[in-house]
Amino acid sequence: MSVLARAFDKGFARNIPKSVSFYSSNSERIQEDEFRVLNFKATRNQNLQAKRKGYKPNVLPPRTTQMPVDQDWGSVWPGPRSFHPATVPLPIRQGYREKGAAPDKYANAELMKIPNFLHLTPPVVKRQCEALKKFCTPWPKALDTDEKCEKYFPIEVTFSNYCHSSPTIRDPLARIVTLKIKLSTLKLNEHARDKFLRLVGDRYDEKTDTFSIVTDRCPTRKQNYEYAMYLLTAVYHESWEVEPWEKLKSEVDMEVYDWNNSKSKETIEELFKKEAKDVENINEYVSAINSLMNEGESKDTIYNYGLAVRKLFNFPVTAT
Amino acid sequence: MSINNITQGLFKLVRIHQYTKNAIHTTAACHKVQAGRYRITSKKDFPLTYEMANPPHQIAHRKSWNSWNTSSVDGGLRTSETAVEDMFIRKFMIGTWHALFVSEIIIKRQHNMIRIAGIVRQSISPRKMYFLIGYTEELLSFWLQCPTKLELQSVGDKKDVVFQYI
Repeated sequence: MSVLARAFDKGFARNIPKSVSFYSSNSERIQEDEFRVLNFKATRNQNLQAKRKGYKPNVLPPRTTQMPVDQDWGSVWPGPRSFHPATVPLPIRQGYREKGAAPDKYANAELMKIPNFLHLTPPVVKRQCEALKKFCTPWPKALDTDEKCEKYFPIEVTFSNYCHSSPTIRDPLARIVTLKIKLSTLKLNEHARDKFLRLVGDRYDEKTDTFSIVTDRCPTRKQNYEYAMYLLTAVYHESWEVEPWEKLKSEVDMEVYDWNNSKSKETIEELFKKEAKDVENINEYVSAINSLMNEGESKDTIYNYGLAVRKLFNFPVTAT
Repeated sequence: MSINNITQGLFKLVRIHQYTKNAIHTTAACHKVQAGRYRITSKKDFPLTYEMANPPHQIAHRKSWNSWNTSSVDGGLRTSETAVEDMFIRKFMIGTWHALFVSEIIIKRQHNMIRIAGIVRQSISPRKMYFLIGYTEELLSFWLQCPTKLELQSVGDKKDVVFQYI
């Protein structure tokens, strides 16, 4: 550079042949780590394809050799990252070799593939939990047992969030809302309960006494939740309503045989000429006929029924 | 009548013969599978990486997948898009990091983050390598609209990744 500058100073610039350009004359001086320069001025003797020498970088020794034993690992490996052998001071091996040891951690692509949890060591998890604690509120003291939770918050709403490895956070399944409530927590009388069960059909589970609604017809979760709440309210109020045609329900339409509304009661009252509750041995007869009608005819129910009738009419009880 | 019976019987026989001919293959089954397998050279000097040395049926046994995402699980979303994007990333990386990658390109996705891992040679200066890292991350995150990260490991010599010679 200084030689050239002197040459320019002395006015020799005009004498320099055209074929020698600044860059070509200086090409050997351009260090290897510089980007190549695109020369638009095409000249003949330009040494465009300078012979590339093998690049030998001076690489520092891996960090693991300088790590103190009591270092803070959480700040060495703060987040999720692919495995790097120069950062992890562990003699890990991964892979399968038929003879000899498995490949070591240097230049091992298998170790880079598998997900690691080096960023979630127990001290780091503890530290993160401590940091998150100030954003948490304590659990209400009054709700110390599950029974109390169920009593004061009878409605259970379930929905799912989905995590995908994709740029979208939407998942069509996230809109589905399930609402569950125990039927015993609703205020229902006998008629309302019966109507409620008829309205909900198979959404009621007899074993757990739970009524559940699954709503998925609306596009968002909020809409589905509101729709489920609306359905619950609607079914509840509908079951309390008594329509005029419901009074036409006769004994045949009853789902359970009830002796108090039956023809049998009328007949007994007619025979004994007094109120049914004053008749002797009537309780045994009522339970026997109820079980016969509701459970169906079996050896036991028929035998009990016969026994009860004999007692009712003071007939001799004989072994059959 | 009897002739009729005989002809019917003959027809049945012929039909049975046809069925047996069609149902039983007498030639050897062709089970030739070539994908992901390498031919042994006469000088036994063809270098294989660990990835190349294990054929595809060893995936999940001796080696693992090069693409990690949730689109292949049951109910996964964006299956085809993910596959096409991964292929695009691979092509882009191979072209941009010309003759530098000595391993397969590993693409791991978590939420909307794309992490690209691999092993490169130390044949270019650190300055160029940093430039390439920034260039790749910038362009890929612009195209895919996801934050993209490059997690590279470098080796001084190509032979460092060679697992065996065949």
